[in-house]
Amino acid sequence: MAYSEKVLDHYENPRNVGSLDKNDPSVATGMVGAPACGDVMKLQLKISAEGIIEDAKFKTYGCGSAIASSSLVTEWVKGKSIDEAGAIKNTDIAEELALPPVKIHCSILAEDAIKAAIEDYKTKQGK
Amino acid sequence: MNYFQQFGIEASFDIDLQQLSSSYQTLQKSVHPDKFAHASEQDQRIAVQKSAHINDAYQTLKNPLLRAEYILKERGVDMPNEQHTFGDTSFLMHQMELREMLEDIKHASDIDQALLEAQRVFSSEYLELSQAMRAEIIENTEASNSAACDNLRKLKFYQKLNVEMERLEESLFDD
Repeated sequence: MAYSEKVLDHYENPRNVGSLDKNDPSVATGMVGAPACGDVMKLQLKISAEGIIEDAKFKTYGCGSAIASSSLVTEWVKGKSIDEAGAIKNTDIAEELALPPVKIHCSILAEDAIKAAIEDYKTKQGK
Repeated sequence: MNYFQQFGIEASFDIDLQQLSSSYQTLQKSVHPDKFAHASEQDQRIAVQKSAHINDAYQTLKNPLLRAEYILKERGVDMPNEQHTFGDTSFLMHQMELREMLEDIKHASDIDQALLEAQRVFSSEYLELSQAMRAEIIENTEASNSAACDNLRKLKFYQKLNVEMERLEESLFDD
């Protein structure tokens, strides 16, 4: 299956690969997985006291579309408030990367990773 | 007729694979194209369809994870969609570590040793989960069936790890 140019670009030059300190109270971690393909995705956000995402890192084990979806998301969320980031839809990701129907679940995984990270942040803040 | 009835074997998670295989061969012979060489076009088409169905049933029952999934579906257990995101954080963190372990093998000073160690870890964890799933399927209560679904989803990540392991071995020993 042919990947779109944008997928290839993110796949070959992934943005913001890496990890942030998960014990830092301002760092939120979202872990999601897709049993169907065994993909595992970790998205970490560094969030300021004002609720603005200052940094984002990801690590994904999966196909090119899953890597591209998470790479794109790290670019998109930086500078956004957590509410704005939480409003990112998988359809936006799929459209930007021109994902074929069989790869839509990769964009869903990336959306769920943002949601899981925000959830983790709220849990951490609530403590 | 369900897949088990089709092969004349008892509907259970523990099946006799040899019996399945011999029953499969007998069934496939009965619909072999040679037998229908002089049959009408319609009968030929039906035979081809039957052969495909027998093959699907065989592939499903032969593989333990597909067999488990089939049994749970037949029981009407509400299975989460295949594409549905899995969010068990500690399990996924551990999967990440296992992926990293796999990734580090090619940089290991003793590659054979690192491969063996990874295989040992993967297979012992797979075994533990699959034994838990087997017991839950046999127990067959609402709670145990739901727990079996959960373990089945976890096992699929190990299936993927094994695929990646094979790919790594091919790349390491190909040249």
